[in-house]
Amino acid sequence: MTRYLARKVVIYLLTFFVAVTIDWAIPRFMPGDPIEGLLSRMKAQPGATEELTGYYSHAFGFDVPLWQQYLNFWAALLHGDLGRSIANFPTPVSELIMGALPYTLALLIPAILLSFWAGNKTGALAARRKVLDNTVLPASYVLTATPQMWLGIVLAWLFASTWAIFPVSGAYGLDVQPEWSLEFATSFLHHWILPFSALFLVAFGGWAIGMRNMIIYELESDYSNYLTALGAPSKLVRKYAYRNALLPQITGLALALGAVVAGAIVVEIVFSYPGLGTLTLSAIQNRDYFLIQGIFLFLITGVLIANFVIDLVYVVIDPRTRVGMQGGS
Amino acid sequence: MMATRRARGVGALVAMAALVAAIAALTAGGAGAGGQTAFALPRAQTLYISGNQWSPNVDLNPAKNWDYVTGLVGFAYETPFRYDPLSDKFIPWLASAGKWTSKTTYTMTVRSGVKWSDGQTMTPQDVKYSFDILKLATHPQHALWQDTGLKSTKVQGRNVVFTFGGTPGIQQFDFYRFNVAIVPQHVFQKYSKTEITTGNLSDPKKIVGTGPYAYESGVGASSETVVWKKRDGWWGTSALGLSVGPTYIVDIKNGTNAAALANLLRGNIDLFNNFAPKSAIRGQFKTYFDRAPYHLGANTTWLFPNTTKKPLDDKQFRRALANSINMGQIISKAYQGLVAKASPTGLLPIWDKWVDPKVVKQLGFSYSPGKAKAMLAAAGYKDTDGDGYVENKDGSAIDLKIVCPNGWSDWMTAIQVIADSAKAVGIKVTASFPEYSTLVDDRGHARYDLLLANDRQYSNTPWTYYQYIYQLPILDNQTTVNYERYTSPSAWSAVQALDKIPSSNTRAYQAVMSKLQRSFLQDLPAIPLWYNGMWSMVNTKYWTGWPSAQNGRFTPTSWRNYWQMTAIDMLTHLRPAKQS
Repeated sequence: MTRYLARKVVIYLLTFFVAVTIDWAIPRFMPGDPIEGLLSRMKAQPGATEELTGYYSHAFGFDVPLWQQYLNFWAALLHGDLGRSIANFPTPVSELIMGALPYTLALLIPAILLSFWAGNKTGALAARRKVLDNTVLPASYVLTATPQMWLGIVLAWLFASTWAIFPVSGAYGLDVQPEWSLEFATSFLHHWILPFSALFLVAFGGWAIGMRNMIIYELESDYSNYLTALGAPSKLVRKYAYRNALLPQITGLALALGAVVAGAIVVEIVFSYPGLGTLTLSAIQNRDYFLIQGIFLFLITGVLIANFVIDLVYVVIDPRTRVGMQGGS
Repeated sequence: MMATRRARGVGALVAMAALVAAIAALTAGGAGAGGQTAFALPRAQTLYISGNQWSPNVDLNPAKNWDYVTGLVGFAYETPFRYDPLSDKFIPWLASAGKWTSKTTYTMTVRSGVKWSDGQTMTPQDVKYSFDILKLATHPQHALWQDTGLKSTKVQGRNVVFTFGGTPGIQQFDFYRFNVAIVPQHVFQKYSKTEITTGNLSDPKKIVGTGPYAYESGVGASSETVVWKKRDGWWGTSALGLSVGPTYIVDIKNGTNAAALANLLRGNIDLFNNFAPKSAIRGQFKTYFDRAPYHLGANTTWLFPNTTKKPLDDKQFRRALANSINMGQIISKAYQGLVAKASPTGLLPIWDKWVDPKVVKQLGFSYSPGKAKAMLAAAGYKDTDGDGYVENKDGSAIDLKIVCPNGWSDWMTAIQVIADSAKAVGIKVTASFPEYSTLVDDRGHARYDLLLANDRQYSNTPWTYYQYIYQLPILDNQTTVNYERYTSPSAWSAVQALDKIPSSNTRAYQAVMSKLQRSFLQDLPAIPLWYNGMWSMVNTKYWTGWPSAQNGRFTPTSWRNYWQMTAIDMLTHLRPAKQS
């Protein structure tokens, strides 16, 4: 158990180190100079350019060699300092991320968990009912092959533009402000449904197909046949099949997390939802090194932690892994 | 049985966790933004505006006039004067009067009876302080002290006296008279120098202004709207009998164009200052003019040639290029007729009175492919290898690239038309669309052939336009002016001379203006194309009294730096469409 965990931790730390290094490097190798962009937006008078360039270069630590910038970056990071946004100087990057994070989580967590739960349930049912199999399966194939962004646009067009049931964009109405009130909560949910649906439906399709195929496979396996031959009720057989079929799905969840996060980013942009996705877009457009870095760092850490948790869950739910680690046979 | 129950339990647990996560996230978002409005805003008393704010609503520094939240200067902080660009008049505002009391001194009389929103009295010392902080070298408006000859400020009774060394840069100084926000010294002196020049001064409780509105809620990293509430005791009411119409103003941060447009068409936005297609102008949605070009021209879009490169260093070639451009097609194809062709001088319509018709008639240009071909031939550009395109005089191939930022769809269409019409007269031009920041970098370092830019907006003086074209010396990195790197010491000294002439001295002023127009049209260092619109769609369902060409000639926009022109007059003329 300890060896298993230790190995996992080392792998995750290594991945983290490499990912963070790439994260640091990429914005710096993008074409375009962020300080020039800032001066251009300021419409700084020519006489002031030199003074301002010097000031901002120093403020952002660009006036030292690259290797030193890299070391400074790690030093700051280990102190929890993600730096200051360039485009919105001097707002701390962490403040911008913390502002956007709740909106992204409010979309992501329900979308991931509910689609996993509902998709697997539906897939398992579809494996046993002809009618469901003939309806849910093709629909699921279409859904899972649909890019979240495109589905988002279609939903917005149908439900927000054509029928005007839901709002087109934003996370809450223009006449309310974020606070504890019924008006805000209602408005928030009203705005949340479409982007949530775009994420939920695509993921749902994938889980349903996976589960349906796994159940069919499990029901035809030796242990199912043996149980049936023993006269076990079919309900019990199906229960065992479901639990076995769930294992690869959980591995799939770990693998899919990155894709879901990427999907959330584009869906947010479609709905102008003020989460990390929209923030990422504006950060890239403004060559805001520190903000881009900070957001990706957050995503990297989030995905790694989620994967680690799934690794741990695996130990709990799969007796074989547990037994294997304890050296039993 | 056991297994079934457990599986159901897990399912329910997962769903619960999801809901809790959503609610927790929602609350956290609320805590971040910190609102005070405990009710939904009354529609009939609320003005919804959009089109100005792109960055997060976190900047409350009146010095950062490209970034601060919409209305910070205008609603809260005010300026000594306002400037009416449509009638070329200065409007006394926090200053009740101002005049040149000698060749080198300007005396500004500070209005009495004005109170800050915290109850303290605004004093001439506050005005002096507000101009003095511009002395800090990293202050965005530092050019006031660097370029106009201003030497000192002094309080004398109700007056602030500005003393200049040598002949003052009057035109520039006039610009600052309506662009320097007057801030309370008793609040600002607690900030550090760095905070004043580059900080965000992000605590909304410290917005202490003199203006008609007070901050209500919405400042925060993820906020989508900022709400302002009408303030009792605004000096404008007692001193000038003015009253702003809307009780609440909600500024909506820009998202995607499509989403914003959908919001407008649903009636959620009253004043929309982003580009909207012509088809949106119908029914309750109106524009400043009721026929083409529908919008006022806010800035000139220029075609900048890199004059350090062959053949763009040749004025004959540039003039031929100017004659090749099919402006009519750009206006119809890229803009559906929503913009107007620019004067060959590049001067905005508000400066029409300074345009010299004789010069324009003699040297102006317009779309004429025949003339363009003849000019190329006369200047010695011939197609020697028979590929259909002219070559340089030394026989080398001409292959120019014209760029605009990727995603700026109207400009992308426009440069495609420019490339096509240049090809039609035998100049090989190809359109290309780099990312904006790459373009800015290349532009500053002269790594381009042809590009579009439109940085300069309305101002009190064409000086800002000529400085944009002619500023010398040329630096390694040209971040904001003279992108074309054109060196004309005589034109630049004429621009400097223009700065020092009061516009009331019309004869001297016109003489320099005519000289500059002649020089400009002869050399054509940049090619004026069209006037980019002051995009403004208004929704007449909830509010009436909007500015228009027939009624109330004010600047109908929520863009930064226009509130201290006449956008505030728009607010004092707005009235609810129906009483509720």
